[in-house]
Amino acid sequence: MFFRLYIYSLKQTSRQKLIMFWSLIFPIILGTLFRAAFGEFLEEEVIFHQIPVAYVAEEGASLAFEETLNLLEEDNGLVKIVRTDGEEAEILLKEEKVEGIFYNRASAAEKGNVSLTVTSQEMSQSILSSILEQYQRVFHTMGNIGRENPAGIEAAVKEIGQQRQYLTEGGITDTPKSVMTDYFYALIAMDCLMGVSMGLQIAINYKANLSNIAVRRVASGTSRFGMLMPDLAARITIQFLCTVCSVCYLTFAMKISLGNKFGLLLLTTLVGSVVGIFMGFFIGAIGTYKESLKEGVCVCCMMLSSFLAGLMVGGMYRFLERYAPIVNRINPASLIVKSLYSLNIYEGYERYTQCMISLLVIAILLGTGAFAMIRRERYASI
Amino acid sequence: MAEQIIEIENLVKRYKELVALDHLNLTVTEGEVFGLLGPNGSGKTTAISCILALLQFDKGSVRVLGKEMQPDSYDIKRQIGVVLQNVAVFEELTVQENIDYFCGLYITDKKERKQCVEDAIVFSGLEDFRRFYPKKLSGGLLRRLNIACGIAHKPRLIILDEPTVAVDPQSRNRILEGIQKLNQEGATIIYTSHYMEEVEQICTRIAILDKGRCVAMGTKEELKAMIKTGEKIHLEIWELKPEQLEEIRSLRHVYQVDYREGMLEIRCSGGKHNLVHILDYLARREISFGRVYSELPTLNDVFLEITGKELRDSAE
Repeated sequence: MFFRLYIYSLKQTSRQKLIMFWSLIFPIILGTLFRAAFGEFLEEEVIFHQIPVAYVAEEGASLAFEETLNLLEEDNGLVKIVRTDGEEAEILLKEEKVEGIFYNRASAAEKGNVSLTVTSQEMSQSILSSILEQYQRVFHTMGNIGRENPAGIEAAVKEIGQQRQYLTEGGITDTPKSVMTDYFYALIAMDCLMGVSMGLQIAINYKANLSNIAVRRVASGTSRFGMLMPDLAARITIQFLCTVCSVCYLTFAMKISLGNKFGLLLLTTLVGSVVGIFMGFFIGAIGTYKESLKEGVCVCCMMLSSFLAGLMVGGMYRFLERYAPIVNRINPASLIVKSLYSLNIYEGYERYTQCMISLLVIAILLGTGAFAMIRRERYASI
Repeated sequence: MAEQIIEIENLVKRYKELVALDHLNLTVTEGEVFGLLGPNGSGKTTAISCILALLQFDKGSVRVLGKEMQPDSYDIKRQIGVVLQNVAVFEELTVQENIDYFCGLYITDKKERKQCVEDAIVFSGLEDFRRFYPKKLSGGLLRRLNIACGIAHKPRLIILDEPTVAVDPQSRNRILEGIQKLNQEGATIIYTSHYMEEVEQICTRIAILDKGRCVAMGTKEELKAMIKTGEKIHLEIWELKPEQLEEIRSLRHVYQVDYREGMLEIRCSGGKHNLVHILDYLARREISFGRVYSELPTLNDVFLEITGKELRDSAE
């Protein structure tokens, strides 16, 4: 039964012109307009603005880290170093003239340890942190090799050379990235959340006070759960395929670089689509309000979520991270943007995984809540 | 003895101050075509919604097929077919797909379902419109599709809530014939309508609802026997004096006389040869007249006598 209802749900949804326009055509149009508007900014592939960072080195401190920083500044332009003393560095950080302070200490206990001080957890600070982590990893590796296997030191030096080249050529990862790419990430997030319309429709089809079809379905011999699962699966499939089309269009037709991890990018859009569908399903399941009101709430939620993720105003994510970080933790569009960002900026998958887990938790909460509301529902009036 | 398919006891449903169902008591026996007759707002659809466990009610009980009806009584629901007042089909699916979809909510066996869908298409006369989308169908065809979706799984109990609203006479006749055929094939039917002719035509037992109350219940003969009117005689008379009207009123078995715009309507309470007596009186008084016809009381007369208002007036 599942497969048959799934196929019918696919047919029924895919033949709805309005829904297909918003989920498939509109993001493509918007992407084309973005591409036309940003034009040469995208082609320049500007990596980042230079990250201003204070560098405080004690006398007698190791020069290795300073040398690494010099390379990052001169060859790559990733950071802009302000060499200063501790007091002034803190003032600069407080006045937000630098994004962080690297302390290179010379004391016996801390020799070889470089520390980083930041006041917030934004993109720039994350990059500085990654630079430090990578440096420390190499530093300790060299120390261990020197102690335990002096013969392998040559190979290790070669390795360091590669690491240095890696840092100077590609930044945190070797993915070329334009600052304008953020808008396209936000666009993909919005596309995923376009699923709210389909999710709302699922709920309406179970609300006997809002739809005639719901009366017939609810009065039928199949459980609501039995009808719901194929409906959800079909809508998620369609929304996911629409988003894949948009991503392919941006990548291959518009030549927007969205990173090299295409598989994980698609996984993100799949999870994003699930959240979008469940968001609409949840809103639709609340109370006995009119369908038009619920539609309005769905559109508002979707647009607000996209706005907060930076679709309309660049830098919104950073702004919220500074003044209301909780919004970025619970806003689905921000989580989608951040996960796409993490994929293409960081080497590891820790941040990406965190975002995915957050999105899945949101989806589960929304889905469970919605089903609890429509299960065994009886109405005061129809 | 035939099984009680539906037992409604003391059902009360209020919409805030409005009492939609006022201690309603009904029983529907297997094999009958049970009519729920009443004007709009009399509580027919509310009663149906309570039977289907869609509506909460304030008091009373509803038992279907011997069991208390609950939202998750799927074993009961599988034996019920519902045809709603409003058309409930997917605009994006074709005629055949719609019937197959709804039939599939009851029947999982592919072969059996295929046969049921085919039977429903033939039954509703939609053979030539299988691949049509609902918006391409006329009002009558759309209603037929609505019915086909509700009965395709060959249910034991079929609930039809005003299925002929806004339907052309040809489609209406086809629908009514179809309902009778379904009943002959073994289905128990609950048919709600405010069209008394339809109810009279197909229902074996009728409950008349008004303001949420069952004001009368029985076969149409039983209902008609409940009222005073045994015969209605209509005469076209161009001129009639008040004293002549009084004389007619005093004739044997005549209990109500109404003269309006050249038409005289005389209600008689049973008795034989009423028309002969009236014509005899007119001849004696040399009162000339045109058309004359006599008719038996209708359900509207039943409703009129019991509630003091016309069923049709209340309906529109």
